[in-house]
Amino acid sequence: MARDETQLRYASSHEWADLQQEGDDTVATVGISAFAIEQLNDLVYMDLPEVGTAVTAGEEMGEVESVKAVSPLYSPVTGEVIEVHSELPDNLEKLNDDPYDFGWIVKIKVTDESGIDQLLDHPTYQKQCAESE
Amino acid sequence: MVPSSSRTGETGRLIPPDEGAHDGSQPSVESPDGNMAVDQLLLQSIEGASPPVLRFYRWNEPTLSLGYFQSLADRQLHSDSGPCAIVRRATGGGAILHHHEITYSVAVAAKNLAGPALDLYRQIHQVWIETLADFGVSARVYRELPESCPAESAATPESFLCFQRRTDEDLIISGYKILGSAQRKTRHGILQHGSLLLKSSRFAPQLPGIRELTGADIHAAALSKRFARRLAAAWSLRWQTEPLSVAERDDALAIAEQKFRADRWLRRR
Repeated sequence: MARDETQLRYASSHEWADLQQEGDDTVATVGISAFAIEQLNDLVYMDLPEVGTAVTAGEEMGEVESVKAVSPLYSPVTGEVIEVHSELPDNLEKLNDDPYDFGWIVKIKVTDESGIDQLLDHPTYQKQCAESE
Repeated sequence: MVPSSSRTGETGRLIPPDEGAHDGSQPSVESPDGNMAVDQLLLQSIEGASPPVLRFYRWNEPTLSLGYFQSLADRQLHSDSGPCAIVRRATGGGAILHHHEITYSVAVAAKNLAGPALDLYRQIHQVWIETLADFGVSARVYRELPESCPAESAATPESFLCFQRRTDEDLIISGYKILGSAQRKTRHGILQHGSLLLKSSRFAPQLPGIRELTGADIHAAALSKRFARRLAAAWSLRWQTEPLSVAERDDALAIAEQKFRADRWLRRR
């Protein structure tokens, strides 16, 4: 089933997080918003973290290159990377068409939920995007 | 775009080419790794809405700089630059042979950006077009060239050399690229640096410079000075010339040693 972007949470740095309960754990599937992909314009490279990497909300977890600009990817949550979308870096052109399903980047097992409240809901994130244009 | 109108009238910082400490206690930072370290320092020094910084720099030896995502092994694709020093940039794009050129960098706070980062390429390159016109040289951005305009036959998106790639905002003379820029972004700001090819290098003889393409032999210092003046006018600010301080040079030399000179950085891809 296609992921509903209106139900996702967003970092102000434009990463989305789909938070799901899996047993006792909260797992965040993470990607980049359609707005950010459009702003970045023509992604050509992506560096992803390795499985097992500890990530912190608001800190860098990867990098992308578009039009000769290298930009950081920030983790929207604190936790451990448990899965990486390894097909993505070789198929970045698909991100434009499918940022919320094929475009997932990593899955993170949340180890500290204190930062989740800082994430924006969809209407608030849309407002932020509109103000930055 | 940059800076936003609310910053009009502010003072930006102009960093001239580095001479090292006056008392000889510090070397110049214009080594391959030192130059990249200073640009990193400028980017990480951006705080809040700190005013723009414009830096011009030289290279103390002919240097090949790799784009951040390029493979070191691909250096074998360009034998002419084999004898040159090499460094990996923190910015994207293709490899650049830094020899007879003007190298500039600009650090701008995110809070002073009123549009997408791509606009920074557009604005700064427009100022370069106007600056070159002051010296009788006519350059155009790639996106405005008619399709009938002859393109350099070697230019492809995958070329090893930056100057044999094309993106919309590159500056072109007679089908050849003479200015390319690249960026590194953080949540606090953008560092954009770029190279203007004044004349061809024996280490990249396939790339003609402004002199070969137009006959114009432009003095780098005069061109830099004019560019700074035009950029100040475009951004409604004035520059205060402020060379690197002793502390900044110390910080840059430490970054150079720990990061840009380190084998793990150069060989990361």
